Amino acid sequence: MLKIQHLTKRYDDTLALDDLDFEVKPGVVTGFLGPNGSGKSTTMRLILGLDRPTKGSATINGKTYHELKAPLREVGALLDAKAVHPGRTARNHLLSLAASNQIKKARVDEVLEFVGIESVANKKVGGFSLGMSQRLGIAGALLGDPEVLLFDEPVNGLDPEGIRWIREFFRSLANEGRTVFVSSHLMSEMAVSADQIIVIGRGKFITQGSVDDLTATAHGTVFVRASDIHMLTSTLTSNGAEVHEINDLGLTVGGLTSDQVGELAYKAGITILELTPQRASLEEVFMDLTADSVEYGGGKIGVAHD
Amino acid sequence: MTNEVTLLSTMKSEWIKFRSVRSTILGMVVFVILTIGLGILVTSLIHAHWNSPGSQQDHLTFDPVSTSLVGTALAQFAVGVIGSLFITTEYTTGSIRTTLAAVPNRWKLIIAKTGVLKISMLLASEIVCFVAFFIGKAIYGNMDPSIPDTLTNGADLRAVVLGGVYLTLLSVIGFSLGMLLRQSAATISTYVGIVLVIPLVLFFFPKSIQDSLTKFEPSYLGREMMSVNPIQNAFSPWVAAMILVIYAAVLWVCGIMVFQRRDA
Repeated sequence: MLKIQHLTKRYDDTLALDDLDFEVKPGVVTGFLGPNGSGKSTTMRLILGLDRPTKGSATINGKTYHELKAPLREVGALLDAKAVHPGRTARNHLLSLAASNQIKKARVDEVLEFVGIESVANKKVGGFSLGMSQRLGIAGALLGDPEVLLFDEPVNGLDPEGIRWIREFFRSLANEGRTVFVSSHLMSEMAVSADQIIVIGRGKFITQGSVDDLTATAHGTVFVRASDIHMLTSTLTSNGAEVHEINDLGLTVGGLTSDQVGELAYKAGITILELTPQRASLEEVFMDLTADSVEYGGGKIGVAHD
Repeated sequence: MTNEVTLLSTMKSEWIKFRSVRSTILGMVVFVILTIGLGILVTSLIHAHWNSPGSQQDHLTFDPVSTSLVGTALAQFAVGVIGSLFITTEYTTGSIRTTLAAVPNRWKLIIAKTGVLKISMLLASEIVCFVAFFIGKAIYGNMDPSIPDTLTNGADLRAVVLGGVYLTLLSVIGFSLGMLLRQSAATISTYVGIVLVIPLVLFFFPKSIQDSLTKFEPSYLGREMMSVNPIQNAFSPWVAAMILVIYAAVLWVCGIMVFQRRDA
């Protein structure tokens, strides 16, 4: 289990992380979501002890990274797939990592085969495509058969086949009871590959929950058809709903759940003909949640009109 | 114990890294060719001109060992570059993060890295210096009966051994500069500046200042370490070696202090 407590990091005068506090549990894939520049990579670096926190801590099963006797056996991480000496072969890269943590040589061939790059194991990494480098990085993360796995933007640069492979791979790691923590700035990716999602923006914790929880809390609407829509409109508006009339029979209701709409209609004696929750997509939820925390806003398009 | 990150396991890891990149191999090849090749060239020339008219004066200060090891004057650049790149490529490629994720203890990492560098450079340098020395000896042959011709002469042995020590210490200096500066180009230019440019600058100072400072220059310390005959106005070989050890140690400690404190 991964525990982040009051994690704060200040670089000169910018506050990269501001009192971050959350837990990542084993057995599920946890997505770590935020716009670019929101502090995802900084968090990963602090977990690995590469940077010092200004305040707070990140612990793995109760220990900080520096307290781990053989870190690769407990935590596997892929931060930057291209951060490998280009003149070294894939096998030598993995052999050097394995040697430091006293991992058997046979394991190097095992992970090379698992990620499917055994045929280029003796080639220099400099000639690898981004997809091959990602696979090598994953091989490195798996080397010590660790309980906790961290991946920073792993789908970047992967082809569709690779993305599918990596999704299934995360799922299987979680099913084995491991803690899988995956960062991304792509909501759509997390919606399909993660069970739990932690959202941050501008270094601050925003929310946490399952994909369903997050969409449920969002401002979804309800489509309703009823026998007497005028009466239903007045009933709903008096209960604080925002109502738009679509046609003679249909309404779009905001601010109430479908359960609440049904309940109110029943009490008022109105016959409901159709009741459909219109769920906000996770993408919309994400945009909504992080709207205030996007580091570089898109600005207005069409400058010429001014 | 067997599953932990130890100093020895980290050294094994660093040894794999050290030998598995072209810059090390290429640097070593250049180092060997320069030291031995230049030694052959210079000793052959001296041998050919030994009995030419007017050379009698030179015979008095002739040092068969220094002239055999003359290639180290160029090889010092190769070893410095090997040492520098061993750490700066970790930064230029970004692999320092992978390295530190595997070995979070930074003291352990640097001690292991320096250990691998020192052992391999010392081994290579001693072999190269002894080869250059023996080739020189063979070329000089019995050119002049007044030249002492065995290695059992303590001064010869000391000069050749200290030649290897000199080159090893220079690689550690290159490595330490690399820890401080992190960029390959900046590190190599600083290193070349220290070894080559300082003597040139000193050359323009008044003779009194030159005389008191020259003996402290790293490359001059090397000359002192490898000389068989005492040099005027210079340190003895052992004192020169100690001074160079202090230079390397101070830079190394500064390097590790900065490395320890800095975010990777």
